[in-house]
Amino acid sequence: MSGAALLAVPLVPLLLAVFIGLRPGRARLNRLVPWAALPGLALAALAPPGLEATLSGLLMGTHLAVDPTGRAFLGLTAGLWLAAGLFALSDRRDDPRRHRFYVFWLLALAGNLGLILAQDAIAFYLFFSLMSLSAYGLVIHSGKPEAWRAGRVYLILAVLGEVLLFAGLVLAVHAAGQSSLAAVAAARPEGWALVLLVLGLGIKAGMLPLHFWLPLAHPAAPVPASAVLSGAMIKAGLLGWMRLLPIDAAGHAVLGEALVLLGLAAAFLGVLVGVLQVRPKTLLAYSSISQMGLMTTGIGLALLLPEARGWLLAAVTLYAVHHGLAKGALFLTAGMQRQWPVTRPARTAFALFTLLPALALAGLPFTSGALAKNALKEPLAAEALSGWLAHTEWLLTLAAAGTTVLLLRFLWRWRADLETAADGLDRPRWWAWGGLSLMALLLPLATLLAGPTALPLSVHDLYGSSLLWPVMLGLGLALLAWRGVRDRETPRVPEGDLAVLAEAAWDGARRTRRRLALPGPWPPRIPARMRALRLGARRRLEAAERMLTRWETIGLLFSAAMLGLYLTLLAG
Amino acid sequence: MDGGWLLLAILFSSLGPGIAIFFLPEHRQGLRTALNLGGAGTKLALVGVLLAGVLRGDEYHFSLPLMPGIDLVLAADALSLLFASLSAVLWFVTTVYAIGYLEGSPRRSRFFGFFSLCVSATVGIALSGNLITFLIFYEILTLATWPLVVHRGTPAALRAGRLYLGYTLTSGLVLFTAIVWLTLLAGAEGFTPGGYLEGLAETHAVTLQVLFVLLMVGFGVKAALVPLHSWLPIAMVAPAPVSALLHAVAVVKAGAFGIIRVVNDVYGAELAIELGLTAGLLVIAAVTIIYGSIQALRTDDLKQRLAFSTVSQVSYIILGVALAGPLGVIGGLVHLVHQGITKITLFFCAGNFAETLGIHRISELDGVGRRMPLTMLAFTAGALGMIGLPPLAGFVTKWHLGLGALEAGMPWILGVLVLSSLLNAAYFLPPVIRGWLGERREPWHEPLQAHAGPTRFETHWMLLFPVVFTAALGLLVGLYAGLGLSPLGWVSLIVQRDYALPEFGL
Repeated sequence: MSGAALLAVPLVPLLLAVFIGLRPGRARLNRLVPWAALPGLALAALAPPGLEATLSGLLMGTHLAVDPTGRAFLGLTAGLWLAAGLFALSDRRDDPRRHRFYVFWLLALAGNLGLILAQDAIAFYLFFSLMSLSAYGLVIHSGKPEAWRAGRVYLILAVLGEVLLFAGLVLAVHAAGQSSLAAVAAARPEGWALVLLVLGLGIKAGMLPLHFWLPLAHPAAPVPASAVLSGAMIKAGLLGWMRLLPIDAAGHAVLGEALVLLGLAAAFLGVLVGVLQVRPKTLLAYSSISQMGLMTTGIGLALLLPEARGWLLAAVTLYAVHHGLAKGALFLTAGMQRQWPVTRPARTAFALFTLLPALALAGLPFTSGALAKNALKEPLAAEALSGWLAHTEWLLTLAAAGTTVLLLRFLWRWRADLETAADGLDRPRWWAWGGLSLMALLLPLATLLAGPTALPLSVHDLYGSSLLWPVMLGLGLALLAWRGVRDRETPRVPEGDLAVLAEAAWDGARRTRRRLALPGPWPPRIPARMRALRLGARRRLEAAERMLTRWETIGLLFSAAMLGLYLTLLAG
Repeated sequence: MDGGWLLLAILFSSLGPGIAIFFLPEHRQGLRTALNLGGAGTKLALVGVLLAGVLRGDEYHFSLPLMPGIDLVLAADALSLLFASLSAVLWFVTTVYAIGYLEGSPRRSRFFGFFSLCVSATVGIALSGNLITFLIFYEILTLATWPLVVHRGTPAALRAGRLYLGYTLTSGLVLFTAIVWLTLLAGAEGFTPGGYLEGLAETHAVTLQVLFVLLMVGFGVKAALVPLHSWLPIAMVAPAPVSALLHAVAVVKAGAFGIIRVVNDVYGAELAIELGLTAGLLVIAAVTIIYGSIQALRTDDLKQRLAFSTVSQVSYIILGVALAGPLGVIGGLVHLVHQGITKITLFFCAGNFAETLGIHRISELDGVGRRMPLTMLAFTAGALGMIGLPPLAGFVTKWHLGLGALEAGMPWILGVLVLSSLLNAAYFLPPVIRGWLGERREPWHEPLQAHAGPTRFETHWMLLFPVVFTAALGLLVGLYAGLGLSPLGWVSLIVQRDYALPEFGL
């Protein structure tokens, strides 16, 4: 029974993908696409604690379960895919290749939901690969040269991530002697296993310096696909880290410090490169890199402060849910540029839905961001860390100023192309978008009311001066920058920063190789008589062979060979 | 001679129809088809009976004295059944495919006659009880395959045939020498799990090493070990069912099976490690894996790419055997089955593309997924399986090989696997992406419809059914690898008899 409930979560989207693939013309099937995430959402809401199932015949033994972390991720993932799916339904209405989009959508959805339930290495790897590879179809969907380029970079990194993860899992499972994720983490992966796991999952999580697929893939993909990529799919890497890294009573100082460093670097570099971008969706992609940096820092802190690990992991989970919903809503905002309404109340709602997720990301009091940021910083209050790490709390706070500037830049660039809706408002889009935006207010309420036991937060955590001053600082900085460069050409970093360098290096290497390559040797000149002789010999040989192809001949030869073999054996 | 009749019946279920087909006139199509399918079906049923018997613990043995001291021995152990059931199942599908593929083409009696002979030889190899018997069937296989390779009679086919004969007959000679030498040294023993040469290790160490190298050269040609592989990519000019036979059912597998037998049942893993033989084999297998993949990357011809991929993938089997630990051997043995199922799917698909739409190159595959969705789906399953993605068969192999490498204390093998997976992805993903996401603007050429009229499905059903069947099989053996009767379960059973099996359960 529990097995069926758990299996249904990835199987429902898979089956729907098969049906749509077989009958691409059926409009009724298309309308079901968003609802394929519903079993996941239902399981997140209704599953009794400790729901699990072991299916020993499947793969090499499969273990699925809903644990508290998984439940939060499942709710976020299913909810976001549902909203984005409703958005996609109207966004893709006139797309002649929409069924192809839906098939890849459903496959990626199945993978994304499945990897949250998976509790053993093989099932995790299965769903992780399914999601990664299917998302390629979403990235290149538009078919423009830009999309193909983004897809190529995405696929190379995704496959690289896959094989690194594979090697890491094999090493870790071998060391643990068991394939369940809990056992692997308990056996504390070390050395190569640890490096490979961090890198393999880090590619998906947009970790520095393997982040550069994000700013290419997000603007290239259709809006709803960007929303789930940035909101849900990159969280898979984070979840993998939470499940596989040695976050236990002993902690891991080296890895913890490295992750804090990488995370903070991403948080600031993401903002720095991001504000120099032009296209709204690229700006959001860099914001995702920056925000994932904060979550990476959280994981690093959990490794550094083992006694606070329960709190920190719960806080990172809360942050992931908050960021997933807000960033998903912001990507949908990017797809609402042509929905600027005419009436005043509708305009108010439009402004509210636009600003809410942005303010939540910046961490304005009483939004989900406020709660998430305070929860993340809570264990840092005491003199917990030494050395440069002691500044972590301050740096985390400062990052919010950067986020504010980045989001203001996004809103500014986004506003430039705002158009009134030509043929009335598109209701399904509004529902999906508005619903996600309001989560910025509902999530903190829900967390406070039905709070997770690992994270006893109170109303005081919804506000504080440490939330307000970075936002003010960000506003001031943005104002200065705006006045300074208003009428001038803004300096730019090409989208996909390091990817551009890598491509240039690759092209350079190819050119150099071509230049260095020696010209081919001249064909040897054979005297005419020799050539005629050789040709004649070959003709005779081929004639002989053609005779051999007659079966009587080959049969005779065959029997003779068999007899010869026998006689030789007899003589031996 | 208890139960020996069953072994003989299995051998003759394809030999008999094969010989009968030779004497059928070309136009007796119905009878020929009936003989073919009847033989294939009978063999399948008989292998099923044998499988049930061996599972029950029955002993099957047949021997015929050839000359004093040397017997022709047929025997059925778990390992021989692994190979026998693989070739029986795949032969059945290939027969269906070949009937559809060759419909209306000339000289079919010759083709199907040798085709059946080929499979009889393969089953003979699988059921051989000692090296002499093995050698006899191995050489029959060489000779019976040659007319199939040159079947089309074109200069390219003749050239491929010449190269094939050159390589295999020379290697056959080497093998003959080695086996006669070994027989003189140790007598004509039957295959014994754990080997029968320990007694000679003290006195004849160098001789055994030399013999091992000779045996590997002899089997390595068919198993396409670098640098003895050149014949295989050139032999891809043969018709698609023959490629399937070469790459998945019979020839390449016979070589790999020979290596398995020599390492496990003649020398024994312990002796092979002690004499330093597995280390060399391991290096050669690793080189072959990487080299085959790099070569595959360089060609645009679909079948040639598949052929180089075979060079690479068959060495996974050798790699597993050379790891000489329980998990590695499981990975190697199970890949015997998995590579067969996956590669036959891919070759069938390539044949379907070529027959139905005249596609031979990867650059022509753009948008083929819309015209032939089922074939493309099967191709995708095969390609992803070769890369080693779960839940397809290839992943089960890769997982066990990886664990086996660590268990043997050789983590560099894991690096080889990672590199090979990357290369596999680099040459298998582009055709898949082109097929599904590419755009084709002009209409397809339809050579099949041009001469056979419109078909009900995307292509002739006899071409479509085998593809779908083997693709589904490749998915199922991976998805249900945990069941006892899956190839993995069966292989674990084989390995359990020789080794203490470590558990990597949940």
